[in-house]
Amino acid sequence: MNWFDKLLDWFSGFTDQWEKHGVKFTLYTTIAILAGGLFELVPPFFLSKTAEPIQNVKPYNALELAGRDVYQKEGCNNCHTQMIRPFKWEVDRFDPQHSYGKDGYSKAGEYVYDHPFLWGSKRTGPDLAHESQIQPSAEWHKTHLINPRDTAKGSIMPAYPWLFEESSIIDASKIADHMRGLQKIGVPYTEEDISSASSLLAGKTAGDALIAYLLKLGRDTAELSKSLQ
Amino acid sequence: MSSSEQKYNDTIVKGFLISGLVWGVASMLVGVWIAFQMVYPELNFGPYFTFGRLRPLHTNAAIFGFALSIIFATAYHTVQRLCRVRIWSDKLSNLHLFLYNLTIIAAAITLPLGLNQSKEYAELEWPLDLMVVIWFVIFLINYFATIFTREEKQLYAAIWFYIASWVTIPILFIVNNLSIPVSWIKSYSVYSGVYDANIQWWYGHNAVAFVLTTPFLGLMYYYLPKHIKQPIYSHRLSIIHFWSLIFLYIWAGPHHLLYSPLPDWLQTTGMVFSIMLWMPSWGGMLNGFLTLTQAKEKIKTDATLKMLLVGLTFYGMSTFEGPLLSIRAVSGLGHNTDWIIGHVHGGTLGWVGMMSFAVIYYLVPRLWNTNLFSERLANTHFWVATLGILLYIVSMWVSGISEGSMWRAIDETGALKFPNWVQITETLKPYRLFRGIGGGLYLIGLLIMIYNVVRTILNSGSGFKEIDLRIGSKEEKVV
Repeated sequence: MNWFDKLLDWFSGFTDQWEKHGVKFTLYTTIAILAGGLFELVPPFFLSKTAEPIQNVKPYNALELAGRDVYQKEGCNNCHTQMIRPFKWEVDRFDPQHSYGKDGYSKAGEYVYDHPFLWGSKRTGPDLAHESQIQPSAEWHKTHLINPRDTAKGSIMPAYPWLFEESSIIDASKIADHMRGLQKIGVPYTEEDISSASSLLAGKTAGDALIAYLLKLGRDTAELSKSLQ
Repeated sequence: MSSSEQKYNDTIVKGFLISGLVWGVASMLVGVWIAFQMVYPELNFGPYFTFGRLRPLHTNAAIFGFALSIIFATAYHTVQRLCRVRIWSDKLSNLHLFLYNLTIIAAAITLPLGLNQSKEYAELEWPLDLMVVIWFVIFLINYFATIFTREEKQLYAAIWFYIASWVTIPILFIVNNLSIPVSWIKSYSVYSGVYDANIQWWYGHNAVAFVLTTPFLGLMYYYLPKHIKQPIYSHRLSIIHFWSLIFLYIWAGPHHLLYSPLPDWLQTTGMVFSIMLWMPSWGGMLNGFLTLTQAKEKIKTDATLKMLLVGLTFYGMSTFEGPLLSIRAVSGLGHNTDWIIGHVHGGTLGWVGMMSFAVIYYLVPRLWNTNLFSERLANTHFWVATLGILLYIVSMWVSGISEGSMWRAIDETGALKFPNWVQITETLKPYRLFRGIGGGLYLIGLLIMIYNVVRTILNSGSGFKEIDLRIGSKEEKVV
């Protein structure tokens, strides 16, 4: 009998016992699955790197937050990622102007106000983490959202004309509620930020808000980087 | 009424089987539709039927509508037989079936309305999450009460896999879905940024592990030996692969976040454990294969056996591809591309789908006490589905690797070779078209099965005659 068989004998010696006791079996199963879960989920909460904003990164204002809600509602994250990996080809593609200095890839401190994170898992369209620096024109975004084929022939993105219709005007009081909720889970909104919702959102459609959000993506870190250069 | 129907509650099994068929068609119909949206954007009918809103509907209907229905059907069927008692409470099981379907219907309405938390496979908004918790608790009480009142001392391997799933699913679901409601239809995840990503993929990967893998291994451990009337090849192998599988799987989540701002040590842990997972996964596959070889001469004629064989093959393939893709360098090429879509569908269409179909062909004649309407149609289903899967994954491999290669292609001057995104999209179009056709074939296979099942049910009560798949047994003609 070789060592592996001995090991198996030893192991099945007690698992055989568990197989006759429902409670024991369930308990040991729970311990087995909790070990890895706890090891991976708990320590990151104590690592400051994953929680502290990079200097200059600010929470979304009311209009940008409303836009983020629209982004989430339309499921833009199903096709667009918001996380640039540290590869030359990825940084060159999504930081063409080198707005972020030498290292135009994504860092933990950029995402601390993102509830939930919107990195996505499939890049069918381009990454949007630095969209404010790649396409800063609000007009372009409007044309693109109304019919993507008008700005990029051959695009397979759905058209979103209704985002700019009268019926899509955003209710500012709802967004103020959203901000209050986020305040409770740690986004440092001031009362002034919240009360500014009504003026920022007056007459704005979901499309306007979405564009404001897209033009916020990567802006704070690019500004910081430019001021340092 | 047969004696088994008096002893066991089979009505609930029938209920979940039918739910599975309904949600299976729904999920695959949406799947084929969104596959073609990736080629013809005119198929996006706004605002309710755009890709971004339909994709979560497709995944939720497939995982939580189709797969989970089959899981519950088989869980109710096997637990009663393996414990030799009737399910603890008929009332609770009916309530479970009702609330479960109510939730899926609500999901099918709210997701196209754009109400989602945007976490993959956890998109449902908080009131629906609460509903899920309620019926899952009802189910858990019923299931464990059945186990605790059992008349059979030994818990058979199939039950282990179900128990591991029932323990883990609620932990994953509750931790990942913690959110702060800001209205009835909107909530925000309590975690942010990198934390949120880490917890999401701990959940996301283990949904694959404990919804799409362990329950299906459980059903393999019951139905495969039952169907061929031979014991499972090795009890010891099942012990070792069960414990190592459930222990290792939980660690693998971070392989979805390689090269991200997630701490490096976590990424590496995820990668190492993913590679280690290959062994227990293949342990399960081998135990299945070696069991199946005991009836290998029947594979030519028996559609159920063919489906089990192909299901196991795809399980082996996806669990080889998974560790491969979680190696940093390979992830560098494959991440975010169609390759991943192909990988996932190898697992879902090949493993989950085929095992489910096999179980449906096994259960329907027995539950409705009649022979299957047509073995030939079952075989047709098998071939159409297999061809569909192959078209799907091969086109996604080609598409994904082309996609990843074009993103990274750099010319002699160090500039991007394909700076224009649409150029890449255009290159991938033919492969994506083939993906849609492959998915379409798979859907046609499902419709063939449903026709077969409906005709079988219409014939119910005419008496079921089992074919004996034991070695050396004489062929019996099915009338």
